Amino acid sequence: MSDRVTVQVVDQEAALEEALDPVAGDSRQAFLRRAVVGGGALVAGGILVGGLPRLTASAAPSAEQDVRILNFAALLEYLQAAFFTEAEVKAGLSGETREFARVAGGHERAHVNLFERTLGNKLRKKPTFDFGDATSNPQRFRATAVLLEDLAVAAYDGQAALLTKPTLRVAAQIVSVESRHAAWARALVHKPPAPRAYDPPATRPQVTRVVKSTKFVTSA
Amino acid sequence: MSHELTLEGIDRSATIAEAQDRLLGSQTRGGLLRRMAALGAGGALAGGVMAALPQVARAATQNDIDILNFALTLEYPAAAFFTEAERNGALSGETAVAARVIGAHERAHVRALRHALGPKAVKRGHYDFGDATEDQQKFHDAGIWFENVAVGYLKGQAPLIDSDAILVVALGLHSVEARHAAWMRRIGGDVPAPSAFDAPITRESAISQFRARGYLAIEPKTTVKKRAPTVTG
Repeated sequence: MSDRVTVQVVDQEAALEEALDPVAGDSRQAFLRRAVVGGGALVAGGILVGGLPRLTASAAPSAEQDVRILNFAALLEYLQAAFFTEAEVKAGLSGETREFARVAGGHERAHVNLFERTLGNKLRKKPTFDFGDATSNPQRFRATAVLLEDLAVAAYDGQAALLTKPTLRVAAQIVSVESRHAAWARALVHKPPAPRAYDPPATRPQVTRVVKSTKFVTSA
Repeated sequence: MSHELTLEGIDRSATIAEAQDRLLGSQTRGGLLRRMAALGAGGALAGGVMAALPQVARAATQNDIDILNFALTLEYPAAAFFTEAERNGALSGETAVAARVIGAHERAHVRALRHALGPKAVKRGHYDFGDATEDQQKFHDAGIWFENVAVGYLKGQAPLIDSDAILVVALGLHSVEARHAAWMRRIGGDVPAPSAFDAPITRESAISQFRARGYLAIEPKTTVKKRAPTVTG
């Protein structure tokens, strides 16, 4: 019996485009969009299943790989936590947007705390960030929140299959919260909270490329 | 052969005649992912990932078939619930929009799971949602329940899945159900993300919650099983 699995291609480009739908006139967002969509490597007719970061033998689950993956996730958690924390102070938020920043920020800070407790001295150094005008007003804040939350969902879904099962259990408890945040943020900008029937995974290089394109991380 | 719908778990002493080869066999995980990448056809399919499980049942382990079938057991009533709500046309505003959009997603999930499982798919049951598909408040309550139980169940089952391909799809579904849950909560006036970490639920918990909701219209025939199904969720 053939053990081939026929897997069709995920339209990852569309998924990431959706996440990056720029706020009109926001040059940083527009740059992001070009950076992601322009990269032909994103959708090269390859299968995007299992978040194939590196197609090497080291892709097998292991405690060491868990640490590498969790440190990758930690970058995103640090980023989100810092973003929400700063926006709560700087962005002049009110109403439900302010509530969202407070609640989601609290969750991201809790995720960071978990990673600190879990990884201990194996946790990466805390990065430094410059959010520029992404935290300067409610509109930019909301648009950036959609980007970061959708990105976090895709990142976790892309990495989770590579984790050992105990670590997967932890990651699974986090990714659904990021998904809730993403839906909430989208609702705040009148976008579909759940844009498609399936949330496609992103590969590590794709996530890294998007993060780099934001220029939010000034030292990692 | 198809299974009767049972809520006691999928019968592991299945009537399926085929041998259940492990999908991975002796391959390393990295090797599998490489091979899957090599199978890529050109051209992207927007939202077509549900077709990523075309014939997985042929090569999947019994464990994975059971998990997919259990997901289907809960997707059937979810899809039916939102579909009926849309058809009744009694909801309004964003609630009506959610019924339409979420319903479309749940129907897509049902189609994908049925397609993946082929003849091994459990049969659809018969459901009675009372006036929860017409009354806005009851719809919110039921919709939130459906989505939260899906998130909890998928989260609980994910670490038990043998196949990486199936795991990835399960996680993609899990994320979408969480979006649905947040959306339904927001519409109902609740905070969309109530906590920093979402807990898994066991298969038994999902079953007993579903029974308690009273949505099954007809109790399935209890077929006598020679061996009690092993419910690992």
